[in-house]
Amino acid sequence: MSKKKKETSEVSENTPKVEETVEKIKEATDTAKQAAQESPVVKRSAHNTAAAAAFNAAGEEVDVRRQKGEKRERKIKTNKIPYERKKHLYGYGFIALWLIGSLWLFVSPVITSLAYSMSKTTLMDKADALAAGYTSAGIRMEWNSFAHYIRAFTGDADFPRLLVESIGEIIPQAFVIMIFSLFIAIMLNQKFRGRTLARAIFFLPVLIATGPIITVINGDMASQGISGATQFSALFKTDLVSELMEFVGIYNINPQFTTFIEELTANILNLVWNSGIQILIFLSALQNIPPSAKEAANMEGATAWEFFWKITFPIISPMILANLIYTIIDAFVSTDNEVMNLVLKQSQLGDYGYSAALAWIYFAIIGAILGLVVVIVSRFVYYENE
Amino acid sequence: MSEKIIKNTSDLEEAAAAASAVNGTSASDGEPRRDKKHYRVTNWSIIKNYPHYTPEERKHYTYIFWRRVGGWIWPIFRAVLIFGLAFVILYPIMYMISASLRPQAEMHDPSVMWIPKNIRLNNFKDVWEAINYPDVLWNTIQLNIVASVLQVASCAITGYGFARFQFKGKKALFALVLLQIIVPPQIIILPQFNLFRNFDIFGLLNALTGSTVSFINNNFTMYIPALFGNGIRGGLFIYLFRQFFRGLPKELEDAAYLDGCGPFKTFISVMVPNAASSFLTVFIFSIVWYWNDYFISSMFFTNSQTISLNILGLANIMSLKLTGLVGLASDYMVWVEAGCLMAIAPILIMYIFLQKYFTEGIERAGLAN
Repeated sequence: MSKKKKETSEVSENTPKVEETVEKIKEATDTAKQAAQESPVVKRSAHNTAAAAAFNAAGEEVDVRRQKGEKRERKIKTNKIPYERKKHLYGYGFIALWLIGSLWLFVSPVITSLAYSMSKTTLMDKADALAAGYTSAGIRMEWNSFAHYIRAFTGDADFPRLLVESIGEIIPQAFVIMIFSLFIAIMLNQKFRGRTLARAIFFLPVLIATGPIITVINGDMASQGISGATQFSALFKTDLVSELMEFVGIYNINPQFTTFIEELTANILNLVWNSGIQILIFLSALQNIPPSAKEAANMEGATAWEFFWKITFPIISPMILANLIYTIIDAFVSTDNEVMNLVLKQSQLGDYGYSAALAWIYFAIIGAILGLVVVIVSRFVYYENE
Repeated sequence: MSEKIIKNTSDLEEAAAAASAVNGTSASDGEPRRDKKHYRVTNWSIIKNYPHYTPEERKHYTYIFWRRVGGWIWPIFRAVLIFGLAFVILYPIMYMISASLRPQAEMHDPSVMWIPKNIRLNNFKDVWEAINYPDVLWNTIQLNIVASVLQVASCAITGYGFARFQFKGKKALFALVLLQIIVPPQIIILPQFNLFRNFDIFGLLNALTGSTVSFINNNFTMYIPALFGNGIRGGLFIYLFRQFFRGLPKELEDAAYLDGCGPFKTFISVMVPNAASSFLTVFIFSIVWYWNDYFISSMFFTNSQTISLNILGLANIMSLKLTGLVGLASDYMVWVEAGCLMAIAPILIMYIFLQKYFTEGIERAGLAN
């Protein structure tokens, strides 16, 4: 194209007589240029109609197709799977791995365990199984109806008592953990010197408290006597807190209240060590509060107390619910839990059916409590998008 | 122009009266107010003049007074509290270090509180030999990293599927994810154990070889659930990833789709690089939880193949090694403490290096939504 242009320009310089023809040539080249500029779009649209429809501002392509009638549209439909259905299929594709795994490793064990709970179980090795007419070793079941469940409540000396005790312990403690971790999270969210260090220290329990080390630590604290932290938490319990309460003038106003406070602070070590993840979650929720809200509140002359109840609390309330659920589940499921220990003991003794029944009763009760908590707490939860 | 100059002079506090007038007008124009300029009154003068104020002024000055006092007291209170609680957290670890460095005889010596009289590093050496530390460590690291990588990959893919695609039964399937978070592993561990003890693919192996495969004591008991998104706390990870991918802008993918990428290629080449930091955060969590897992590994491993499995029985192991008899656990505390330190050391080292992602990366990991 450019060569042609050069030639024509040379011609126009050298021979002024043929100006008219030159002009004609120029016109021709211009139209050719225009055609060349349009042609890539045309080509592209021919190749990839979807992309072209997006690029084609005038939308002429689409219009042309519509004018020609439905025949062409139908052709496209029959050739390909519609985009929406294709997306459905891709959705299934993405979750397929998990779905197979869940059916195999979660749903089927759950059903099996339910079946165990309703039957008499015996563990058979290969030889016995072959003798009894089975093809492989494993746990054999005999239908037993609800006998295990009835036994748990009437025949078991420990289970109902432990159940009531652990529920009575866990629910109040969950709320204490909530308040405590929210308070710490708000503190760690403020700007001060050494904040990074403080955060690093407060997240340490996340690394350690989920493992067996915490058992050793708790063991130290409880049974080591002289140089363990029994002394340490005892120090908290007997001296500092009672002193503080006396100083403030609330000591023994109400004996129950005093013992409650004392128990709470005696437990400070457990409290700090068990609320690492909750602090983490609250801290990340607090990051969601826009700085402009803080500025606006300052301009309006809001106190910190008002700011907390009118801005912080509503914004993080969904996370409070989530955190509460996490805390309750974690406490109920932890291996420190007495009921869980009982369940595990039964299964180690080989009474799988009874163990499964206990686990299911326990799980049903946790489920009911969780449901109750969710229903009650949801009334105070504020969702921004609704 | 003149306003600007006056402002400058007001900053320099040369023409106080004029400046305050200008500042007053400019404040109403949206200029941020400065407390210092407006409230020259000291706390003491507030207390002194309190009886002479009108009720409105009283309200006003009480607010200022408490704000100032709070500004002084709160940081002190906060520092004391943080220091105290940090002490509570560090105390067991400091105690662990102190105890692991002393001979057992000094455990019950009332004159030794923190610094032992004789430093004994052989505690570590004894534990090292007794539990065959290098092998166990290597096995634990291998198990953790492979399982975590598989877990993070499968959970991310599933979470993305839940976040960005509409399909039939999505709500029901997501309810299954929530159920996986709630149902304790204690309920399903026994059937799962049975599954891996007599591993079989639709009775095929039994028909072919005459017996089933036992995966007990094999790392595959951890790898297989992780691969299928059902590893330790898999449900929670799926939930986190779903929340995270929902928060990413849709335009990212639309551009890739227009370029002709399929959904999976889009996920790999567009979404994964964007989510790198949150992948790392979740990966660290996964490592920590696999590292600390005691319950599930104690079911599947009978030979104490991971570090966590060794900790609780360490007193027994040491007593058998040193005396040949099973003794009281409290007589072997120094070795237990040393073992604990050795168990958390690798993860503490990881924490020191990746601490940034732990404390700040989490904010971007979708936990907040």
